[in-house]
Amino acid sequence: MQPQSGILDQVLAQRQRVTERLAHVKHVVAVMSGKGGVGKSALTANLAVALGMRGRSVGVLDADIHGPSAAAMLGARGQTVEIGQDGARPAIGVANVSVMSMDLFLDGEDTPVIWKHPGGLASDTYVWRGTLEANVLREFLGDTAWGALDFLLIDMPPGADRFETLMRFIPDLSGGLVITIPSRVSHQVVRRAIQSARMVEAPLLGLVENMAGLTDPESGAIRELYPDGDGEKFAAELAIPYLGSVPFDPRLARDTDAGRPFVLNYSQSPAGEAIQRLARTIEEVVR
Amino acid sequence: MKFVCNDCQRVMEFRDNTPGQGGGSMAIRYICPGCNRSISMVTNPGETQVVRSLGVTIGHEAIAHTPEPMAMIREALAEQKPAASVPAGPDPVWTETALRRLNAAPGFVQGMIRRLYDDYARQKGYAEITPAVMNEARDALGMSEM
Repeated sequence: MQPQSGILDQVLAQRQRVTERLAHVKHVVAVMSGKGGVGKSALTANLAVALGMRGRSVGVLDADIHGPSAAAMLGARGQTVEIGQDGARPAIGVANVSVMSMDLFLDGEDTPVIWKHPGGLASDTYVWRGTLEANVLREFLGDTAWGALDFLLIDMPPGADRFETLMRFIPDLSGGLVITIPSRVSHQVVRRAIQSARMVEAPLLGLVENMAGLTDPESGAIRELYPDGDGEKFAAELAIPYLGSVPFDPRLARDTDAGRPFVLNYSQSPAGEAIQRLARTIEEVVR
Repeated sequence: MKFVCNDCQRVMEFRDNTPGQGGGSMAIRYICPGCNRSISMVTNPGETQVVRSLGVTIGHEAIAHTPEPMAMIREALAEQKPAASVPAGPDPVWTETALRRLNAAPGFVQGMIRRLYDDYARQKGYAEITPAVMNEARDALGMSEM
């Protein structure tokens, strides 16, 4: 029999590697929103730390290939991906959260993600870039030596298309955690994202309303931030469980940007308590 | 896709593949098992990239080859920092006293600290991590506060 590349066999082997790797992960949760700028990555980082504070082993996979932020937010920026016999070792962030992100491959804060296009025209990259970036997600899932985890949180990029890709790699995903903010525009985009997720029969854990009010760090009082807030009503309209809301706290943005997830230092603040409540709720809904 | 030698009426067999002049193109050589006539099919860069973007390898040299972790990302990224290797060797065992000392560090950084000591012990070939090994590592790595 003549030798062949066996491309189909290679693709099947790739899928098998993902399945084997995730066999040691109890719950895989995709944190998603159709909209950018809703604080999804900061919430993912704080949620991971809150779960870690509850004694859970947690990993965060940063699926935002062109705007990676998880490593920075979890204090793991500057670490390098290390290749071992068992796979690529993830970075270790605060609260022992394992992190895999494109950020760990890039040399320097300003380095953009640019793919080689040897011999071809740069304008041709649209032909293969989507496939390649789907396979970046596949390598993150299948090649990272996550070890045994209670939770793997996947910080999805804005847009709904990558969620469909994720579902192909992880058919038994625990579910999507949908993040919105109390604005009409966000609601419109999230509505579409949920519709897309339902079209691929993705399980959805529920809706979280982020930036639901503004916390005054001095008094702890919560003021209105957006006029259109009613996450519970919005969740009911969408026929999706409402998992809670998190108010905005300026310290959350400042600390999380600096790689010190807010919930660690301000666990008693309204936003800190809301994040911890959300962590408990997630533990319950995935059970 | 198959090629047939018109003279022999036999299916030509894959022989090898080589990168073409265009960088992204590839010459795939087939040979007739009857008359040894060979032909080359040259792909264009776009076709090669589409297949490579699947993260697969092409050509019979690749058969039974398990790619290194993150091989596709490292192959495809134009600018990147070099990956490091995990120090070889089995996981070192922590003695009770060493573990007590590790647990005295703030919980949120224990994972990072533990990895540093584990890696140091592997590099040095130590099977066990004791307070003495921790002291040695601390001095060597400049971790005066740990």
